[in-house]
Amino acid sequence: MFQNRAEALALALPAAIFAGLVFLVPVILLLSEGFRSADSWSLSAYADFFSQPLNRTVFLRTLKLGAIVTAAAAVIGYATAYAIVSLPPGAKGRMIGLVVLPLMISPVARTYAWIVILGRTGIVNQALMAIGLSDEPIRILFSETAVFIGLLQLFLPLMVISLISALENLPKDVVPAARVLGANWFQVFWKVILPLTREGLVVGGTLVFTGSMTAYITPAILGGSKVLMLETLLYQQVTVANNFVSASVIAFILIVMSFAANILLKRVATARNKR
Amino acid sequence: MTQRLFAPITLLLVLIFLIGPFLIIVAASFSAGDTLAFPPQGFSFKWILKVFTVESFRDSFVMSMFLAIGGTFAALLLGIPAAYAMSRYKLPFSETVRTIVSAPIIVPGIIVGLALLRYFVVPIGLSITLALFLAHTALVLPYAVRVVSASLNNLRSDIEEAAVLLGSSRLGAFFRVVLPNIRGGILSAFILGFVTSFNQVPVSLFLSGPGVRTLPVDMLGYMEIVFDPSIAALSSLLAFLSIGIVFAAERFLGFSRYV
Amino acid sequence: MSDTSFLTLDKLSLAYGNTVAVKDLDLDIRKGELLALLGPSGCGKTTTMRSIAGLMTPVGGRIRLDGADITRVAANKRAVGLVFQSYALFPHLTVFENVAFGLKLKGMRGAELEAKVASGLKSVGLAAFADRKTPELSGGQQQRVALARSMVMEPKVLLLDEPLSNLDARLRLEMRTELQRVQKESGVTMIFVTHDQVEALALADRIVVMKNGAIEQIGTPEEIYNHPVSSFVADFVGFENIFAIRDGKLVAGTGEVFLSGKLPEAAGLAWRPRAISLGSGPLKGIVRGVSFAGGTREYVLETPLGIIKAEVDAALPAHALGTDVAFDLPVGSAAPLKRFG
Repeated sequence: MFQNRAEALALALPAAIFAGLVFLVPVILLLSEGFRSADSWSLSAYADFFSQPLNRTVFLRTLKLGAIVTAAAAVIGYATAYAIVSLPPGAKGRMIGLVVLPLMISPVARTYAWIVILGRTGIVNQALMAIGLSDEPIRILFSETAVFIGLLQLFLPLMVISLISALENLPKDVVPAARVLGANWFQVFWKVILPLTREGLVVGGTLVFTGSMTAYITPAILGGSKVLMLETLLYQQVTVANNFVSASVIAFILIVMSFAANILLKRVATARNKR
Repeated sequence: MTQRLFAPITLLLVLIFLIGPFLIIVAASFSAGDTLAFPPQGFSFKWILKVFTVESFRDSFVMSMFLAIGGTFAALLLGIPAAYAMSRYKLPFSETVRTIVSAPIIVPGIIVGLALLRYFVVPIGLSITLALFLAHTALVLPYAVRVVSASLNNLRSDIEEAAVLLGSSRLGAFFRVVLPNIRGGILSAFILGFVTSFNQVPVSLFLSGPGVRTLPVDMLGYMEIVFDPSIAALSSLLAFLSIGIVFAAERFLGFSRYV
Repeated sequence: MSDTSFLTLDKLSLAYGNTVAVKDLDLDIRKGELLALLGPSGCGKTTTMRSIAGLMTPVGGRIRLDGADITRVAANKRAVGLVFQSYALFPHLTVFENVAFGLKLKGMRGAELEAKVASGLKSVGLAAFADRKTPELSGGQQQRVALARSMVMEPKVLLLDEPLSNLDARLRLEMRTELQRVQKESGVTMIFVTHDQVEALALADRIVVMKNGAIEQIGTPEEIYNHPVSSFVADFVGFENIFAIRDGKLVAGTGEVFLSGKLPEAAGLAWRPRAISLGSGPLKGIVRGVSFAGGTREYVLETPLGIIKAEVDAALPAHALGTDVAFDLPVGSAAPLKRFG
């Protein structure tokens, strides 16, 4: 550890100044717009924003989709991670590779695929009509269901990866020990696995939740203007309504939620270090 | 019996869910038909070939490559010294510096793009290309700092002291013994930054003008107007490009150690 | 400062931020000496060593080496070598390149460089390993490379940080001999830092015992081992029974005890377990522990002075656990302590 503070600052400052100037200053200016009314500080923009039913709907929908995508990712994630962890080493590595693979592919491409699958003449509708469950194509695209499916596919890998590392750090033989002591599989999960992998769940959950909340591409392609989420609403406010105050309010809400999730994440991480 | 089947069935279903759509896209890009459909109508290379003839794709591809390579390079130029200062020095306000440098990862990209548009491009007349470059650099910076920090922390700091005691200057010690040993980490940071920047949409959404757009934003615009398999073809090509790069990186560098 | 001093620390003070690590330290080191800095962790020995190397700037005092004041001389211009506890070999370079590193910086090239590195490697018995990457080597081999790397620079002073602590028992013995040989052949002034009294006693010409950033005692291994000046040093070199003297009486915890014979003028007395005579004497204790240690038997006694540890010839009849036993603390075989606490 070197002592020279001037040298340390000279090395770190360019990055800090760059991030501050290019990023922090304009973002703070943008956020401040939402708190101005005429020439004074005010919360009226927020009152206006939430007084409109559409905005409330979008806000609640964003929260709701974030929550159910996270919950679904957690359930599927546990099953997947547990199955992967119990594989032999070689197969495990390959399987992790396959789960991570989608993260390398452009989200535009990944989301676009769902149009082929969920569209009017898509695979799902073809199958439904072929087996006679439906006489005419049903509308899946541009619904919350479509956005949910798209978001889940986009962010599930993050949950699986977090849970795999949590499960791999599980003390050896605690699961067999609990079984021997008479616990059934449900009890093993609830009383042993869940408490011991809580951190991994929180890490994965934060990533999935913030990712879903702040997603743009998925609601834009699969939700369209029918299923707006906060980011697509923000885009619309700027490009269609030219309403920067409203955009600033949405930006602030997004940042607050993103920060809250990250603080939670940090809490859990430091709680672990103390133990 | 049910328990023995649980794992393979779960994995199969999850893989179909995660990778299946991508395979469908790949299949659709070889379609001979004129609209996007699955199963594809016939087999041809016409959509793959068409991608290369669309002028706006060519322009936006060049723009995205420039941003991904140039932005990541700039982010590393800023990020390596910062990471070095954080790992080797008693840095004053180190928590503040760390927070500022890593903030772009927490704030949604769409807000960064909008803020730059509103305060740099419109009032100051900053060119959109330069704004995109700055935004992508800021976006990649946290990843650059994080990955380089990880590889610096794996390297014992006493080798620098050893180099100094053997007559090297401090700067010399950095280039002679630190840099050669974090090369893998830097390359990994470059690849991660490249992929992140190249696939990034929200940051670039507001930062587009006549003839200046990134490839993913261009694709989004194109798919709203035209419903042919060329987007599928382009997506497959890009996906294979990223997978190829990452696979090579993993093979030769052990990429996943750093990320 | 004496005329014979080659390396002089003069009122040296060192600090980490606001935490003082070493205060007003004076030390004269002779040319060609093998000196040990001995003490528990946090006593300032490593900090002192790092300041001699130039890796730490003193907050007060001076360092003189070979007639020149080097207090403000940069670490890369000092001609001081350091063998790190972790060896700090450059992992991307071969053994040869590691040893050649400093020589190349001096501008040495070609045949001269090759010859110098080769002889350096030969002197530590690693001539055959020149082309290996250093992470492939064993701990002992890595340390030899580190030693050669420093020695080819012909430093005026060679510093070694816990040189034996990362080696297993057999290698430790081998390395000890090796260090003594290298030092004798080259005549280099060597200072090593250790927390292990056995290492210091076995290797050093002179030992500096440090405590809380100050020197507690300086002396030859015999002096330190037989005549500790304080209870701290006594404890550090294996005196297990240490008592204060107050008003002509031996005191420990709750009890005071009169001993046969007159107590010397001292702050305290210390006995090694071997110096306690068991079976007869004016004092009584209860056997609370007994263990066989080959040639001897070790006892733990509960006495009015607290716990006493004794070690007696195993050929003598054993005292059973829980029995009363008489013993004596012979004043003649005690080490008188100048300072207590």
